[in-house]
Amino acid sequence: MYVVEVVITNKRSVRDPEGETIHKELISRRGYANVKDVRSGKYLEFLVDSQTPEEALNYVRDICYKLRIYNPVVHDIKVRLSA
Amino acid sequence: MPLSNDELVEIRGILGREPTKAELNMFEAQWSEHCSYKSSRYYLKLLPSDGEDVIIGPGRDAPAVKIFNNYAVVFKMESHNHPSAVDPYNGAATGVGGIVRDILTLGARPIALLDMLFLGDPTDQHADWLIKNVVKGISDYGNRIGVPVVSGMTWFDKAYNRYPLVNVACVGVVEISKLVNKVPEANDLIVIIGNTTGRDGLLGSSFASKPLDSSEDYLNNISAVQVGNPLIEKLIIDFIVDITDLGVVKYIKDLGGGGLATAVSELTADYGLGATIVLDNLHLREHDLRPEEILVSESQERMLLVVSRDDLKVVQELLEKYGIQYSVVGSLDRSGVIKVYYRGDLVAEVPAKALAKPRIRLRDAVVPKHFNELNVEVRITDIPEVKDLRKLMLKMLRSPNIASKEWIYSQYDYEVGIRTVVKPGYGDAAVLRLVEVGDGLGIAVKGDGNPRYTYINPFRGAANAVAECYRNLVSVGSKPIAIVDEVNAGNPEKPDHYWYFTEMVKGISWMAQELKLPVVGGKVSFYNEDLSMNSPVKPVATIVGVGTIANIRNVVTLDLKEDDDLILIVGTTYPELGATEFLQVHLGLELGEVPLPRPSSELRNAGFISELVGLGYAKAVHDVDVGGVAVAIAEMCIKGLKGVVVDLSKVPNRGCSRYEELLFSETQARYLVEVGSEVLDVVVDLARKYGVDVGVIGRVVGDELVISYDGHVLTKLKVDELVNVYENSLNELMS
Repeated sequence: MYVVEVVITNKRSVRDPEGETIHKELISRRGYANVKDVRSGKYLEFLVDSQTPEEALNYVRDICYKLRIYNPVVHDIKVRLSA
Repeated sequence: MPLSNDELVEIRGILGREPTKAELNMFEAQWSEHCSYKSSRYYLKLLPSDGEDVIIGPGRDAPAVKIFNNYAVVFKMESHNHPSAVDPYNGAATGVGGIVRDILTLGARPIALLDMLFLGDPTDQHADWLIKNVVKGISDYGNRIGVPVVSGMTWFDKAYNRYPLVNVACVGVVEISKLVNKVPEANDLIVIIGNTTGRDGLLGSSFASKPLDSSEDYLNNISAVQVGNPLIEKLIIDFIVDITDLGVVKYIKDLGGGGLATAVSELTADYGLGATIVLDNLHLREHDLRPEEILVSESQERMLLVVSRDDLKVVQELLEKYGIQYSVVGSLDRSGVIKVYYRGDLVAEVPAKALAKPRIRLRDAVVPKHFNELNVEVRITDIPEVKDLRKLMLKMLRSPNIASKEWIYSQYDYEVGIRTVVKPGYGDAAVLRLVEVGDGLGIAVKGDGNPRYTYINPFRGAANAVAECYRNLVSVGSKPIAIVDEVNAGNPEKPDHYWYFTEMVKGISWMAQELKLPVVGGKVSFYNEDLSMNSPVKPVATIVGVGTIANIRNVVTLDLKEDDDLILIVGTTYPELGATEFLQVHLGLELGEVPLPRPSSELRNAGFISELVGLGYAKAVHDVDVGGVAVAIAEMCIKGLKGVVVDLSKVPNRGCSRYEELLFSETQARYLVEVGSEVLDVVVDLARKYGVDVGVIGRVVGDELVISYDGHVLTKLKVDELVNVYENSLNELMS
């Protein structure tokens, strides 16, 4: 069994109103000027029955693509093993 | 689409030199099909747009039509087909944002949204993903800005599996004296408000003006993807409503397709002005933007205001109160030339009129090869008898084009703002209360389109869409006053695609003229092609209409009300089984002559229905549409939870020889009406006066829909079972 983490964010070239709002309204407005940008996203954790970690990662990456859990036109996806 | 060689030559001629990068981008954006209507303008002139109540017709971002005393309704429709195909959630959401801003340009308060969706087969995985995200995108954006989605229509067809059509409309109201409709003058200031300008959505209008390449490489590198920010939109709405009250803004324009370049070129060209724009003044998201990018960025939630120098302070104060970012980017002058500066350099200098209106491009149109194959006469003698009517009826009610669309509208907050008088599903049109206008006053709104009809015969299909919208508005007891249209077609450079466009416009034009319904605004969407199938998606003309209601208490819904009442059919039935839902469900065929548009019957029958409603005789009214009498009567039973005994032999008809024709024909200009038996004689006299054919085809009784012919029972269906099939089918399909 492996725990596979998936992080989905809007691509850098695509806007992220949620991140922008958090940055502007919550952080900058309260004076934390060192924060230059905030990006929001979605985090998923998959518990996968698999022989090898590579297989688990590929399996999850494949599912996310096929089932359109993210939209490759809009989103970046990070798939990684949980420590 | 990138400029053609001919166009480049033309641009050099206009400028008398090589264009700069910024100028090239401005021309590319503005001369795109999406912004300039270069392939469609010639035909759009056919549409009748005048009427005594029309205050502002086509030409501005939205039209305005007078309703009652001092108020106008402002309504408009647009498509977001390309964006929704690649990014259904954001594509549909930003479509809503855009159409709401169009309404705001006249200072109107947006009160309702409609969505007309043409979606794929829900059992297809990709189509299912598109459908769910389109609906969610509309729902999230609409709910967050507090404007209810009150009505619309949905059509499912596998032709839309990879490429859906998403048409959205918005309706607003404004006091006529407060309409933002002044003439911009030299020396006035140009103020851009709202979202920061970024690299997102560069040349989106150009992206929407060519076929969508579905290859993965292409899709993963689109720069035209836009993400909406409804929180900013909501602030803009509140600001515009407030500033309109103060009357200090002369003119408002949406920064939509083509961005700043299009907004400034249309503003200056329309009023014979010029402008000086200093891009350094604009609030930007990314500071390394090049001037040619700033000019054509389509970042969402931005608007252009024209304000006189004297009023600037008041406008600034209100913008600051709402926390809306803004920039004074330039001013108007009499030069007729747009000059754009960036970091001290003159980056563009373009004659406004030459930029705003490229030459009309008439395209070749030819009748597609399959037209004759599809347009065959469907004779009843060629149709196998229905062996099991009960099974067929249930199959029709289960068809996603017929079944309740509750799965969709339950995701919308259709009651926000407490204006909604008739809930979705209960009336042929949505009815909205207008408390600000006067006690008991309201409007009805509805959107219609039938891609099966327009695919087989675009002229008849488009004419029928106008007529259906008209009937739907009449059914609830409103007086139709105007329509807007959206023509969704294929690639105009392909003659057999372009032909559909020309025929649809002619069909709308003819029916609108006959029904005296001005077409006050509209949009054209080309390049709706599924390249993976190498075909245009089914073209469709979508119509949204508005009707006025003088007494909201007289509004009529379609659910049956009382036992022992009589069911009347209004209008003559013809043997018109071509292109019907019956043919599709019974035989899997999508062909045949599309039911004939019948404008004079529409006018006559609508006059009669309006009189019945006005006199309070009509307890329920439902127009006969897709699925014919069978579906119309079943829906009345389902919504009223009451049974009916129907005798088809009483249906006034010409030339019908089998009951299937009476039950399933989609002949236009027909209605079903529920009346009390005590007024029957009066109603029949009235029908004679109007020269309208009516037949008493049934009585409300029991808990079954019984369909018979001259005493012979053809089938019986429990209303409970109808309800179950009708209400749950789409839910099951989508889960």
